[in-house]
Amino acid sequence: MSKKLLSIRNLKVNIEDKEILKGLDLNIGHGEIHIIMGPNGGGKSTLAYTLMGHPRYEITDGEIKFEDQLINDLSADKKAKKGIFLSFQYPEEIPGVTVEEFLRTAKSSITGEQQRIIPFRKLLKEKMELLEMKEEYANRYLNLGFSGGEKKKNEILQMSILEPKLAILDETDSGLDVDAIRIVAEGVKRLHNENNSVLVITHYHKLLDYLEPDFVHILLDGKIVKTGGIELAKEIDKKGYENIRQEFANK
Amino acid sequence: MVKWKRIGMDLTFPNVPKYTKDFINDMGQPLNIKIYEPSDDISPQGFLGLGNEFLEHIDNNYNSGFTLHVRRRDKIREPIRVEYIMNDENPTVVDKNIIKVDEDSEVTVIIDYKTISDTKAFHNGITKVYAKENSIVNIIKIQRMNESSFNFDSNVAIVEGRGKVNWISVELGSSISGANYTTFLDGEASEGYLSSIYFGDGNRKMDISYSMIHRGPRSISNIDTKGVLMNEARKVFRGNLDFKKGARRAKGNEEEYVILLDPKVKSDSIPGLFCEEDDVEGNHAASAGQLDKNKLFYLMSRGLSERDAKKLIVEASFRPIIDSIPSDELREEINLEVERRFANV
Ligand SMILES: Nc1ncnc2c1ncn2[C@@H]1O[C@H](COP(=O)(O)OP(=O)(O)OP(=O)(O)O)[C@@H](O)[C@H]1O
Ligand SMILES: [Mg+2]
Repeated sequence: MSKKLLSIRNLKVNIEDKEILKGLDLNIGHGEIHIIMGPNGGGKSTLAYTLMGHPRYEITDGEIKFEDQLINDLSADKKAKKGIFLSFQYPEEIPGVTVEEFLRTAKSSITGEQQRIIPFRKLLKEKMELLEMKEEYANRYLNLGFSGGEKKKNEILQMSILEPKLAILDETDSGLDVDAIRIVAEGVKRLHNENNSVLVITHYHKLLDYLEPDFVHILLDGKIVKTGGIELAKEIDKKGYENIRQEFANK
Repeated sequence: MVKWKRIGMDLTFPNVPKYTKDFINDMGQPLNIKIYEPSDDISPQGFLGLGNEFLEHIDNNYNSGFTLHVRRRDKIREPIRVEYIMNDENPTVVDKNIIKVDEDSEVTVIIDYKTISDTKAFHNGITKVYAKENSIVNIIKIQRMNESSFNFDSNVAIVEGRGKVNWISVELGSSISGANYTTFLDGEASEGYLSSIYFGDGNRKMDISYSMIHRGPRSISNIDTKGVLMNEARKVFRGNLDFKKGARRAKGNEEEYVILLDPKVKSDSIPGLFCEEDDVEGNHAASAGQLDKNKLFYLMSRGLSERDAKKLIVEASFRPIIDSIPSDELREEINLEVERRFANV
């Protein structure tokens, strides 16, 4: 068995016939934390959606392997069952379905075991306390009327209930106040262990200070153009993407 | 044989045999319920129901029905349940129900039409409500006949000053189903509300028409409809807000939201707004569409299959109306029925 949890080779993805990812390579091992940074419109969310299996994103070339299995064509629910989770940049609102009901249904689907109401409620309560979320959110409709920050916290709540092997966080830190960033980072660290890996898409390095990533990648114009350690993130923070853009253009 | 224009089909009314099943379920207390007698009848002016042929057929052939008279200041807490059950021995229900509610009183009646065998059943009926001053009348109608049955149901209410009629309609069954609800808001500050859900699957054809006819000043109406169509179901929805002379400062509102789960369904919505007075307010909103792809993806990314994700969204849109039905047992049965219809998505 290979040590890789996720391996992406030469991935090309179209949205409505426009190529967005243009031959992207990325490997994530068990228990690693990876960061992807990159300018707006570079294709970060496209990568996240494609990994999760959004039907609008068409893979035209390359392969995505998860635990050595090709998962290019799997639907989102099958990918979720394999242990992939996406914290959405813009979580959807679902009126009429409460957070608790939804998560109990989701947990039942993913584990294949019907979650009983009382033990599940206890689990949910525990996880919510850890994320400093008020109990009453369990009975609110999923994301309906939640503030931007509350939606992001709710994504992390879902992650900690579903316990994925690979959690992809698409700008989960955007719009969070400093305390919320710390709480989210702690949530991510609790999930992270020698088996579970995390892929964080972010523009800021605040979250990185907590997370101690193994790798930082720069995604530019549909490709990973540079990989390094935390120092790369610091450099971007200071100098922006212009240097890298030029370096890459000269190649 | 009559040509039923709305759906574009020919219809032959069957012979109407006796109906022998008991249809009043809950007569624990000495209510003034008796089996319908012609002398109890009320005939609202200008009421057409599903059409004259249907009304005449009922008048000439009714085989069941009841009259309920609630006296002044009587507030009946427990809902009265009426079940018209159809099976091989009793395949035909032609019912005439009359509910008279006097001043300052209150009552809830649940009328349920269902088949318990796969016999081709036929229902053509009318329910007439007369709500006097300051009364509250809640009528819950559930139609869950099997896929080969015909259902035709006309409903009318006359509401006097400060009276309030709340209709809840749940339409889940039949191969052909016509439902008309007409509410005459005659009195000053009278109120008429209609909340409904409908589920069209298989080859069902549905004709749904609701009218709120405002005659009283400051009368208020609201129509709130949630529908789902799948497979090759077809539906025509007409929602009319009709402000007659004298309905000064009346307000009416209607909304219909329908989710289309398959490309072969057909959904027509025809809202109508008629005003003989200037000083009125009428609003309507309608939307028909596929499930939002991004919402579906969001739910599926949490492990729900496409079917379960769709089911969750549909159930969520039905929930407020189902939850307002005052019977745990019926709510449960309706939820199961909706679930069952998702089995072959
Ligand atoms: N549904 C869509 N239809 C058309 N173009 C799209 C669609 N979604 C994304 N794009 C385009 O694809 C490109 C990449 O978008 P993507 O959302 O992946 O960028 P991003 O790196 O996540 O940016 P940001 O940092 O702003 O979140 C953009 O040019 C965007 O306009
Ligand atoms: Mg993005």
